Amino acid sequence: MIDLDREALANMIDHTELSAHSGEKKIANLCSEARSFGFYTVCINGGYTRYAFEKLAGSGVLVCTVVGFPLGAGTSTAKAFEAGEAVAGGAAEIDMVVNVGALRDRRLDLVRDDIRAVVDASGPALVKVILETCFLTDEEIVSGCELSVQAGAKFVKTSTGFGAFGAFPDHVRLMRKTVGPGIGVKASGGIRNFKDAWRLIRAGASRLGVSASVAILEGLSLYKFAPAAWLEEEIPCHVCPSRFANLDKQPKAVYAYYKKKCLACPHLETFNKFYE
Amino acid sequence: MNGWMGRIIRIDLSSGRQEPVAVSAETLRRWLGGRGLGVKLYSDMCPEPPDPFAAGNPLLFMTGPLTGTVMTSGRYQVVSRSPLTGTICDSSSGGSFGAALKAAGLDGLIVSGCAGRPVYLCVHDGTVEVRDASALWGLNTQQTQKAIHGQTPAKTSVACIGPAGENRVLFAAIMNDRDRAAGRGGMGAVMGSKNLKAIAAWGSQATAVADPEAYQTMIARLDRAVDKNPVTGKSLPVLGTSVLVNIINAHGMLPTRNFRSGVFNDAEGISGEKIAESLLQRQSACYKCPIGCGRTTKTRSKSGEGPEYETVWAFGAHLGISDLAAIAEANYACNELGLDTITMGSTIGCAMELHESGVLGEKMLWGDAGRLAGWVEDTARRRGFGVELGLGSKRLAAKYGRPELAMQVKGMEIPAYDPRGAQGMALSYATSNRGGCHMRGYLIMPEILGHPVFLDRFSTAGKPEIVALFQDIAAVVDSAVLCRFLQFAMGLSTFSEMLRAVTGLDFSDEELLSVGRRIYTMERLFNNRAGFTRADDALPPRFFQEELRTGSSRHRLVRLEEMLDRYYAVRGWDSQGAPLAATLAELGL
Repeated sequence: MIDLDREALANMIDHTELSAHSGEKKIANLCSEARSFGFYTVCINGGYTRYAFEKLAGSGVLVCTVVGFPLGAGTSTAKAFEAGEAVAGGAAEIDMVVNVGALRDRRLDLVRDDIRAVVDASGPALVKVILETCFLTDEEIVSGCELSVQAGAKFVKTSTGFGAFGAFPDHVRLMRKTVGPGIGVKASGGIRNFKDAWRLIRAGASRLGVSASVAILEGLSLYKFAPAAWLEEEIPCHVCPSRFANLDKQPKAVYAYYKKKCLACPHLETFNKFYE
Repeated sequence: MNGWMGRIIRIDLSSGRQEPVAVSAETLRRWLGGRGLGVKLYSDMCPEPPDPFAAGNPLLFMTGPLTGTVMTSGRYQVVSRSPLTGTICDSSSGGSFGAALKAAGLDGLIVSGCAGRPVYLCVHDGTVEVRDASALWGLNTQQTQKAIHGQTPAKTSVACIGPAGENRVLFAAIMNDRDRAAGRGGMGAVMGSKNLKAIAAWGSQATAVADPEAYQTMIARLDRAVDKNPVTGKSLPVLGTSVLVNIINAHGMLPTRNFRSGVFNDAEGISGEKIAESLLQRQSACYKCPIGCGRTTKTRSKSGEGPEYETVWAFGAHLGISDLAAIAEANYACNELGLDTITMGSTIGCAMELHESGVLGEKMLWGDAGRLAGWVEDTARRRGFGVELGLGSKRLAAKYGRPELAMQVKGMEIPAYDPRGAQGMALSYATSNRGGCHMRGYLIMPEILGHPVFLDRFSTAGKPEIVALFQDIAAVVDSAVLCRFLQFAMGLSTFSEMLRAVTGLDFSDEELLSVGRRIYTMERLFNNRAGFTRADDALPPRFFQEELRTGSSRHRLVRLEEMLDRYYAVRGWDSQGAPLAATLAELGL
């Protein structure tokens, strides 16, 4: 049973357009859709903050601007400056990318200070911290969540959409468990249809970063006409990050970590049930 | 009336008499146009199924309320009784003929009777003019279009038949705008049986739009949705529909050698990627279409349109052929002669297996690319073994005592997705109202491509519900009339809003789905009257008895019986597949 209406789902969505090649026309369309469907924010690159803010004036839809995007490897000063400019341009929310390399190096003070610099520069704006979970082990994800909360962020977020893979329920569940109910968890990356979205919401996501937002709402509309299809039993491996581990795109240690998890996975037999 | 032109003409070719057909606003709301209104008008005219080649079997060319408006709206639907299957049939084609017919002032043109000599029709300014086509008879489709273009104003769009239609080959196509085809079900043969060579349409009447502001908003939204969607925004424009070759092969579902395998070892050689690096001259697109899935290609000696996915399969993997140039040239031949490539290729594959099994003396060998275009030509011209190929696979296999070797449903050949690899697709094939067709309910979308929801392709759970849903949505899109590819980028709600902006009628999702269900049920009623029952909602025995041996669908069989009763229940039909009285009452039938 899916107990979610269209309005509530729209209100959980950051309607996203972050391609390097997106021009004003696409941002204008994005804002127009956000107005029509009542999405919570539009999530965009910094260069379009003021433009989107003006397009959305009076609509109630907020502007969310990304910072240090998509690598997160710049200096804290640069990130803070970006955040300050975005807020001045009308951004109500800031999605910053964590310093992934520092987190993997266990340079935790640097990571915390990096986040805090953005939080301080963002003033009243809410800050979400993108962990880029595809590059992290579970232990590093937990660290990233804890440091984000300590630094004053209000949300943790899974992915940029530019990494090896996007959001998975396992990661969202782990993040929710780590930050507790008082902090938001945003799932983003690879969410293409309503079932993807619903799976992540059930895992604990309170916000979704998606570009296929309209398709997701339409998927919810269709659900009521064929609920049995939407609620069929899923093959667990189809929604597991280990299956999507990619040696070309991930650090080899992280790739090996995910593959090793498969060996101890209780779903190994379930997978066989489907495929043998 | 916003969205519709308010004019449908019926012309009797036997007498030359023509008259307007009155359609109420209520009827338009309940059936939209295109396939839906066509099926409704056809059923009213033919309570008893006529012989497909009888003068009394009408042939309807239909547009819809969205024809000539937004992207991909150049399409039209042809409705009649199929000579190949005996079912009611509608066949859809792209290009711009639909938009031209509407710009000429018509929502539909109904052709009945039989002309005493070959004729073609000119439609303009809401009128229909009959012209002599004696000089055109015998010309191929491209020669015909060129000749008519020489006698009509610029921007005329022509739909015509070639020699296959003239010769009443059971799977003859109607071709328009050079190489676009209303391919399936033999609508070209019905046209030929009426001595009707072509229809030319031109005009400048615009479709009235109820809410121009909302309409512009919808256009902008569609633009973004099509661009954002990976299928419509990237795969189809860059690689055409043949992008599916590698994908379906990887799923072990690319039917090979008459469905004896789901893996074709040379798939890479006939893929969309290979076409792009060997034959492709340019991308081509239908009326107002930003996707542009069409391929204009060139071999060493010929050029033309295609091959698209179903064709590259039918003349390729299905026959064990990996010679892309030979496949393309067989495709060009089908376009010129006016033949459905799917049934043509599938029937050749059936003949090859008949020959291999020793019952057919004619030498038909797997992988024989050199004779491909010749078989097509012989079929269209009804000469030599082409006479037998022109029967289609069901009649051919039955003639040689091996009916199980025809890969068909209700007489129409199954296209390029092995149903053993996708249970929903299997159910969709079996319950399709026009026979083995992937377009009645394209379950590949959820089962392989994950849209709008990713479903386990080997599971039967929930499949009856979603098959019925997809079939109903397809009926709505075919009646609106738009291209099905838009379904990748937009859902039912967007269709509702689009229809609202254009027609001013406040369609809810529920009402639109009931329109789809009404159309599907009406088609079913016709088929029931024509003698089709549960026994015809079946698949060839191969899919229940022979497991695929290699690939990622290995060890799989179709489990139709697990789904069929539930499907009938979802549809409100009895256990024999006949709509219940309560269902008819609910749908106002």
